[in-house]
Amino acid sequence: MALDCLGVPPHAIVTTGLEKRYPRGGTYAVRGVDLAVEEGEVYGFLGPNGAGKSTTVRLLVTLLRPTAGTAFVAGHDVVKDPAAVRASIGVALQDAAIDPLMTGRELLRLQSVLHGLGRREVGPRSDLLLDRVGLAEAGDKRVGEYSGGMRRRLDLAMALIHEPSVLFLDEPTTGLDPSSRLLLWNEVRRLRDQGTTVFLTTQYLEEADQLADRVGIISGGSIVAEDTPEALKAEVGRPHVHVSLADPADLARALEVAASVGRPTPGVTLECLDVSVEDGARELPALVRVLDDAGIAVAGMSVVRPTLDDVFLQKTGEHLADTDEVPA
Amino acid sequence: MQPDPVTSPASSGAIEHRRMRRGVVDLPAVRALVVRGLNELLRVPGAAIPGIVSPAIFLLGLTLVFGKATQIPGYGTQSFLAFVLPVALLQSAGFTGGATGVNLGRDIEQGWLDRLLLSPAGRGTILTGLVLSAALRVLIPLPALLIIAFAVGAPIPSFIGFVLTIVFVTAFAAVAATWSSVLALKFRSQQASPLMQSTILSSILFSASYAPLSLLQPWMKAIAEHNPVTLILEGMRQCYVGSITWEVTWHAFAALGGTGLVFVLLALRGFGRYER
Amino acid sequence: MIAPSLALGLRAIRLTLRRPQFLIPLFLMPSIFLAVNTGGLAATTRLPGFPPTTNFLSFQLPAAMVQSLMLSGLQAGIAVALEIESGFFDRLITAPVPRLAIVAGRLIAAAALGAIQVAFFVVGGLLFGAQIAGGILGVLLVIVLGSLAATAFAAIGMAIAFRARQASVVQGMFPFVFAVLYLSSAFFPRKLLSSPADSISALNPLSYIADGLRTPIAFGLHGAPIVEGFAVTFGVIAVASLLAVAGLRWRLADAA
Repeated sequence: MALDCLGVPPHAIVTTGLEKRYPRGGTYAVRGVDLAVEEGEVYGFLGPNGAGKSTTVRLLVTLLRPTAGTAFVAGHDVVKDPAAVRASIGVALQDAAIDPLMTGRELLRLQSVLHGLGRREVGPRSDLLLDRVGLAEAGDKRVGEYSGGMRRRLDLAMALIHEPSVLFLDEPTTGLDPSSRLLLWNEVRRLRDQGTTVFLTTQYLEEADQLADRVGIISGGSIVAEDTPEALKAEVGRPHVHVSLADPADLARALEVAASVGRPTPGVTLECLDVSVEDGARELPALVRVLDDAGIAVAGMSVVRPTLDDVFLQKTGEHLADTDEVPA
Repeated sequence: MQPDPVTSPASSGAIEHRRMRRGVVDLPAVRALVVRGLNELLRVPGAAIPGIVSPAIFLLGLTLVFGKATQIPGYGTQSFLAFVLPVALLQSAGFTGGATGVNLGRDIEQGWLDRLLLSPAGRGTILTGLVLSAALRVLIPLPALLIIAFAVGAPIPSFIGFVLTIVFVTAFAAVAATWSSVLALKFRSQQASPLMQSTILSSILFSASYAPLSLLQPWMKAIAEHNPVTLILEGMRQCYVGSITWEVTWHAFAALGGTGLVFVLLALRGFGRYER
Repeated sequence: MIAPSLALGLRAIRLTLRRPQFLIPLFLMPSIFLAVNTGGLAATTRLPGFPPTTNFLSFQLPAAMVQSLMLSGLQAGIAVALEIESGFFDRLITAPVPRLAIVAGRLIAAAALGAIQVAFFVVGGLLFGAQIAGGILGVLLVIVLGSLAATAFAAIGMAIAFRARQASVVQGMFPFVFAVLYLSSAFFPRKLLSSPADSISALNPLSYIADGLRTPIAFGLHGAPIVEGFAVTFGVIAVASLLAVAGLRWRLADAA
């Protein structure tokens, strides 16, 4: 990698002060973004619509030119050597533009020719990818007949046709049903296991939580937080156990006995209390025991952990738009 | 995404790549793009019909209405049909070429162009693919129009006349395709379609389309004399009216080459701006 | 009946004025053809048998007018088909609106727009050197006849739309507009058309409408062609409106 010569550790994506300002009105879509994504890492890029997420991706994949700052992808400068960047990356953009009149196999072949695969590679490579994304049987059907999930999988196969070292997935599972989502997640995990760097934008916190080694949160064109999902959540606060009592009259006593397990506070209603704990699951049996010993009847109990949404709320002051739409 | 029985190599470099030289048109990629362009024509029944019906109605209608105009000295033929046949052929070529921009506008709206731009294939390769498929697509309406024209009495040209007709029509379709691509890259939307088709049609009509230069009104003559399409039209017309001369042929090629070059440069600039 | 027709008519006018992408072609396309025909074929006035006129632009003006009015009629049809496709039409017929007002409203709108279209070409023609042989009265006659012709073409467009129900099908009639134009005396004197257009144009109502518009502009207030023009236009309005109403009934029976 080019950056090795400069003594910088191998990073798949490095940006410094990356900026995109639109001439009309001088508004910033991206304002001073610094990123350092390591090779082989799955980097989750979170943000609501209009936060600068897609613009950052378009800058990194050479579809837009930055107005300031630098960006290196796979060791190549996106401004000075866009062709080398394009040759090293695979991209599945949010709106999977797929010609409905062509078959999946034809599209993969076209994609492999455009990416300069050798003549002998085109056929076998297309077949391999179709098989890998579970479209072997549908390969000769026109894409117009595909379901939304099949299109996304084809899109992923097209992004992978030339074995890119860095893969950009822009909201890959938005609008997908849970089973298609799971298939895609598994594929991302396998790519990571194979050493591919994955830059994943998403509106779904659960997705970032499940897949990403590290998460960056963008708001108003700048990165407001960046760390592993666990560290980010730990920063926001500890897990707590939410307890509902059968009889509100027991609340005072319950607060008293629960203090031996964690830090109890009264809940929002008269029959509830929240007990702040270290781990959550570990303290649950102890808490049941002390309440039981005190003769307090419990109606319900659950462990509540901080979510990335809590992180998001704390860092940006707003909730992520579509979080409640995440299918289980 | 089934459990993977195939172990594929982790990093790039394991697959054999062709040499794609930068700044050079990559022929296999162009061929693949042309195949995709033709696909659309072959798979959408009726996609070729507008390129046949409108010019055919125009040709037959004009001949029925203004057929007697050739009684005025200066047309060089008694057959108004022969005189306006090249106009109809250019109209068909222009329409087919204009459709390239319309489709590109759609491709931009739907993100397909982004996909193409994300491949290492250069902008020259993408433009060549677009323009070449337009040039080939026009070969479908062309014979249909010629057959209609011959059936109602248009003169059948010599072999060289045929060859020149095919060359001029495909080249004009390519030029029109480049122009419409310039507009598509500028407006990035299918909404610009009427602008593409109307500018192309106007360029054909505001030339020596209905009458020779000498018979045009002074203001029309001034426009037609500066309109390169007049030279192209006259190059086509010599295949059906009068005889083929090197000078007229040369002028037509120069007009096609000149406009084509200007539009190619504009289109490449359009690609450059698209990324800003 | 009158109030809802007017209300629907006003709505149609407002919608038309708000869609420049539909409005502009009505004026632009005929203007382009007018310029090309005038600039390219003015020498044809020298042909033996061409009626005595010194101004070819005046002669061609009615061609642009009928072309514009016919395209407008087609668009009225497209608008109705779009309303059927979008479901607005179903809402309209379930509202307490007299059914005939649905047709009448569109025709009122077409008449108003038609008057504007014709006036546009009169003014544009005068600016570029056309003369109106019939004077002010001639202009008034042309605007009234043009407005009536617009009503006739809109009725035809609606009749097609009620049968076709799809905007794309109505849109597909576009080349047909030109076929009817070329087989009439809209562009050139009937006597000078080539066979078989000369004899077909004698049977084409559009010839009489175009000649009715042309006479006050190019030749003066000569009775016969103007009277024929009005008579034929009224005839087309009657037949096409009946067809449109029949189409509406058929559509209603189909919807029920």
